[in-house]
Amino acid sequence: MIGRVPNWIVWVVGIIACIWVIPIIGIVVTSVRPPADVTLGWWRLDNIRFTLDAWMRVWDEYPLANAFWTTLWITLIGTGATMLLTPAAAYAFHFLKFPFRRTILVIIINAFVLPVQVVVIPLFQLWRDTGLIDNILAVLIPYVGLSFAWSIFLVKNFMEDFPKELIEAGKIDGCGPLATFWFVVLPNSLSAIFAVGILQFLWCWNSLLLPMLYLRTTIPLPVLLTRVSGTYDLNWDLRSVAAIVTTIVPLFVFLIFQRQFAAGSQTRTGAKE
Amino acid sequence: MATVTLNNVSKSYGTLEVIDNLNLQVEDGTFTVFVGPSGCGKSTLLRMIAGLEPITKGDLVIDGRRVNEADPIERGVAMVFQNYALYPHMTVEQNIGFSLRMAGLEKSDIDARVAIAAQTLQIEPLLKRKPAQLSGGQRQRVAIGRAIVRDPEVFLFDEPLSNLDAELRVSMRVEIAKLHNKLGSTMIYVTHDQTEAMTLADKIVVMRDGKIEQSGSPDDLYDNPDNLFVAGFIGSPRMNFLRADLTATGPRLVAGPTLSMAGLPSQGEVLVGVRPEHFLLGGGDASVAVKVDVVENLGGTRYLYGATISGENVVVEVRDRPGIKAGDTVHVGIDPVRSMIFRATGERLRQGH
Ligand SMILES: Nc1ncnc2c1ncn2[C@@H]1O[C@H](COP(=O)(O)OP(=O)(O)OP(=O)(O)O)[C@@H](O)[C@H]1O
Ligand SMILES: [Mg+2]
Repeated sequence: MIGRVPNWIVWVVGIIACIWVIPIIGIVVTSVRPPADVTLGWWRLDNIRFTLDAWMRVWDEYPLANAFWTTLWITLIGTGATMLLTPAAAYAFHFLKFPFRRTILVIIINAFVLPVQVVVIPLFQLWRDTGLIDNILAVLIPYVGLSFAWSIFLVKNFMEDFPKELIEAGKIDGCGPLATFWFVVLPNSLSAIFAVGILQFLWCWNSLLLPMLYLRTTIPLPVLLTRVSGTYDLNWDLRSVAAIVTTIVPLFVFLIFQRQFAAGSQTRTGAKE
Repeated sequence: MATVTLNNVSKSYGTLEVIDNLNLQVEDGTFTVFVGPSGCGKSTLLRMIAGLEPITKGDLVIDGRRVNEADPIERGVAMVFQNYALYPHMTVEQNIGFSLRMAGLEKSDIDARVAIAAQTLQIEPLLKRKPAQLSGGQRQRVAIGRAIVRDPEVFLFDEPLSNLDAELRVSMRVEIAKLHNKLGSTMIYVTHDQTEAMTLADKIVVMRDGKIEQSGSPDDLYDNPDNLFVAGFIGSPRMNFLRADLTATGPRLVAGPTLSMAGLPSQGEVLVGVRPEHFLLGGGDASVAVKVDVVENLGGTRYLYGATISGENVVVEVRDRPGIKAGDTVHVGIDPVRSMIFRATGERLRQGH
């Protein structure tokens, strides 16, 4: 029997949740009040006026819509590529035999310890020499490549529990390695792949350093956000709108797909439990 | 249909030799059962035939063709796994049809063949379900359906019934036997349940430590085991072994009497093997006193579990109802004609050799 949760836990969690939500309320309120009214704080009630002025202006003053599409585009490609390549790599490392398997795996996983900042300069030189600066490939390649470290690790760990007999049944049924991967492994690894997908989506969407350095004309939202807040104007309202537009998608993605985190492995082979 | 031949086949994992220079011929259309204690290499051997495990040395020949390096599909084998290994994300229908889909058949052909397989196994009402929604016995049928739909040359079963409860195991055993009669394909079946082996097999292959101890028909192995291991392994309850010393007239039991048997060496310690049903209750030339500890009543037959005065545990099968109780001492006769003599090393001594 599951005991009732003690009251004080409910209170503590509730208070923490409220504290966490306050900044969000703050930017929403700031975005709909004239900047002059909130210079002393968005919670001030001395002069209550609402306006959607900022929500109208920001699109004209900054290329917010473009940045939104750029971000979406880069994030979708980066996430899709990771969701496809990671399980393929994890499958190969876990179930296939090829020379230097362990060595390659260790090298890839070790990229974990390498912070992005370390590769920024060499990558910049590489992209400059190959003419990829201001090309979205300049960020997509490191997005996918750098995420391999943790994503392969995560999916490969998931596959430790993947029933070997399913792979063997696939072999008996006439699957080669690719067909086994596509028809047997992939459909039964969805929870792990989605978990990787969500993390990668959030990481790509919020990524600032790489696009700031490698992209010039097509910039994603976080970079634009720094430009909006980098001015000396009194533009708290515009910043708030840009911030909301930047965070709204990851928020929804997380809310919609959070169940995937909790979903258990669905790879029971059908043996009687 | 096909014959399967293993020529000097060995398998090692690193330095660990699991299958040791094994020769075997599986005839076309026969039902062959591999039995042996846990870890003797039955599964390994089956998986080598299936193409799931590389063969270290020797040749595997199916239908006259050496297939050591061939994929399972090229070998024309289908396999039923112990834990079914059904694809959890596919319906029963898709599970059964999957190999046909991989072979590139038309959807309509696949459906037709799946329907026939489902009918054979009486699982038509289950076709739209997922494996998680099936009982153990139903899953097993689906697993068999997945094998028969391909119409393979050789069926391989690795302990397919061991996850089922006792009753279901018996009925599935009968169904597998029927299936074999109906399809007439070559079937190789691994089990460590010797009842399954006796009831299903045309030919039993008894294995131990990666070697074949003896192979032959169930009756052959039962009536005429080549060694102590096979004698003890085949038959349930198992054969009784009584210690004895050889004399010029025959083996003299430590428990008392001497069996008059000619044509044996006249010296050495041996074991006399007697099956539980071959004891003669209350009589015979050479009889041994057995103190009964437990009487197991199965209705038609009873088994008396007890010990001789020299301490050997024995089981005696009794058909009528003689009113023997635990604690009684009975005298059971040993018929020399139906006794088998084994050296302590396990080798069988036959009269006149
Ligand atoms: N991948 C492996 N690596 C090393 N040794 C193995 C491997 N697979 C099996 N073995 C060894 O090979 C031997 C035979 O194994 P196998 O699975 O064929 O036994 P079995 O006769 O099927 O036993 P059981 O009745 O318990 O299923 C065992 O001693 C086992 O430890
Ligand atoms: Mg086994």
